[in-house]
Amino acid sequence: MRPTVPLHADPGLQPERTVLSWGRTMLLFSLVGAVFLRWMPYYGLWTVGLTAVCALVAGGIYLTQKLRYSRQSRGIADGRVEADVSAVLATTCATIALGVMGLLAVLA
Amino acid sequence: MSENPQRGRLSSRLLSRGQEPDPRFTLANERTFLAWIRTALAFLAGGVAVEAFAADVFEDPYRTIISVLTIGVGLLISVGAALRWLNIERSMRQGRPLPMPLIIPLLSFACGVAMAVVIVLVVLT
Repeated sequence: MRPTVPLHADPGLQPERTVLSWGRTMLLFSLVGAVFLRWMPYYGLWTVGLTAVCALVAGGIYLTQKLRYSRQSRGIADGRVEADVSAVLATTCATIALGVMGLLAVLA
Repeated sequence: MSENPQRGRLSSRLLSRGQEPDPRFTLANERTFLAWIRTALAFLAGGVAVEAFAADVFEDPYRTIISVLTIGVGLLISVGAALRWLNIERSMRQGRPLPMPLIIPLLSFACGVAMAVVIVLVVLT
């Protein structure tokens, strides 16, 4: 049977480790998003926005994991992986948005 | 390593010239960025939690100040993580030494100040 993702021969398992790292980040965003909902009595609707941002990021990571592993495995095999600029910038922007919304919620 | 690979528009604009580094280094840099983002996220959630659940420990103005400072540190770390990721990518492409990790002293300083403030407030109250 043909594998659904390209394999690589990297003994350091770089694609696995990187995808797992994204997975841990996804889990933390999910956890923090769920905890924000718990604080709805204190912050009201702000928590919905905070949770929505967390859910968007976690969902985005989840939906791109297979593509990410495939791209990185292919890159390892080819000896060239393009830096994932868009994912890094999107994650940073989402974290900044969470911080700004958190500040507004606390100061409101 | 190879020169001038096919890149996306955003990647070409931000990562300018240079030779493509070893893919293992690119992935390691990505994992380091993610570790910093998780740290930033913990600070952000912690800052909001302080304001919500530390009413019995800290008086109102102090609690808000601690909360804002904690969230602010989280914001700085997230911005610093992205800048460090970008600087390391550029340095690797251009064969320059890796830049100093400025967010590490920032994190250490912030943790030290936070611990000191919390200890003082707990002792005083």
